[in-house]
Amino acid sequence: MKRNTLVLTAVLFILAIFAWAGWANFEYRKQAGARLLASVAKAELAPDKDGGPPQFVTPLMGKSAPEFSLEDLSGNKVSLGGYKGKAVLVNFWATWCGPCKIETPWLIELRNQYAAQGFEILGVSEDELDRDDAQKLGAEKQEIARFVQQMHMPYPVLIGGDSISEPYGGLDDLPTSFFVDRGGMVVAAQVGLTSKDEIEGNIKKALGK
Amino acid sequence: MGIEDGKLLELKDGMRAAAAVAMGLAGLLAQGQMSAGRSIAKAAPVEFLYPEQVTVAAGKPATLALHFRIAPGLHINSHTPREEELIPTTFSIPEGAAVRLDKADYPAGTDFTLPLDPKEKLSVYTGEFVVQARIVASPGDHLVEAKLRYQACDNNACMPPRTITVAIDVVGK
Repeated sequence: MKRNTLVLTAVLFILAIFAWAGWANFEYRKQAGARLLASVAKAELAPDKDGGPPQFVTPLMGKSAPEFSLEDLSGNKVSLGGYKGKAVLVNFWATWCGPCKIETPWLIELRNQYAAQGFEILGVSEDELDRDDAQKLGAEKQEIARFVQQMHMPYPVLIGGDSISEPYGGLDDLPTSFFVDRGGMVVAAQVGLTSKDEIEGNIKKALGK
Repeated sequence: MGIEDGKLLELKDGMRAAAAVAMGLAGLLAQGQMSAGRSIAKAAPVEFLYPEQVTVAAGKPATLALHFRIAPGLHINSHTPREEELIPTTFSIPEGAAVRLDKADYPAGTDFTLPLDPKEKLSVYTGEFVVQARIVASPGDHLVEAKLRYQACDNNACMPPRTITVAIDVVGK
């Protein structure tokens, strides 16, 4: 009788271990799945259907661009929703990003070329900001302002872009651009330096041409 | 009594077997987690190679050659980038640690130009590079969690600045 009880206890113990292992495995797979989803929820290279150069695709394609409201360099709040009715290029960049510096003059030319047709660029800076240190924050804002002035960027430049990185797919690489049509839908995305022609093609898509 | 002892031994063996099965299962599960983790994680742009452990004279300056490797196709700014806004590679040891960083000497950067901007020369590191760190350790065994801050790019895109932990076991004798 005593032996039976012990054997039963051992069997129950083993079953409990199996149940725990199964539960732990399920939890782990759930978390791994979420991590995987997060890692692929960003723009990535995919072959072009028409045989052209590879295109960057994003899970945001064809969906509403995530809404945001960020400060510009003067401290005014600027929101994406405020540009409804216009085609918008949301361009994530940083002062320390060499390829962004190459791309910026192209963006300025294209913005000036298409502005009359209802096109605007929102340049979202991904530069780190020390919000707890007023002196450092001031210097960091000045650094961004100096870059904007040096490059003669005529469009709104917003700061604190890291706060909206996640809904836009993590932004592991800069520059990254999302092209939003007049109805607020993402119609194209680009990661890294491409070409002025490719950017122009995507602006036209956003304008509905 | 002898029979009882025998039964008890059998039961103990049974319990041991059950524990072994459970441990084996847990081990397999852990292995599965690591494999899945590796397949998801992106390769690190910069990796600390060695040394993992050093023995130095306590209280006296000692120079360590810290070896790092940059992933193929990437470059990071040198310690002295040419443009003010570029983020330099810097090595540090947190203040208050039993091991103090006296001085860090960095290799000179090599000239690099982006294909679409051949006029602008950058000062970068590629491949492997070595930071010479002069440290002063107090007596004892210390696990130092030094830091390397860098900002990596390839020809078309840049990654946000990162800080990696450089773990070194420093024995001060």
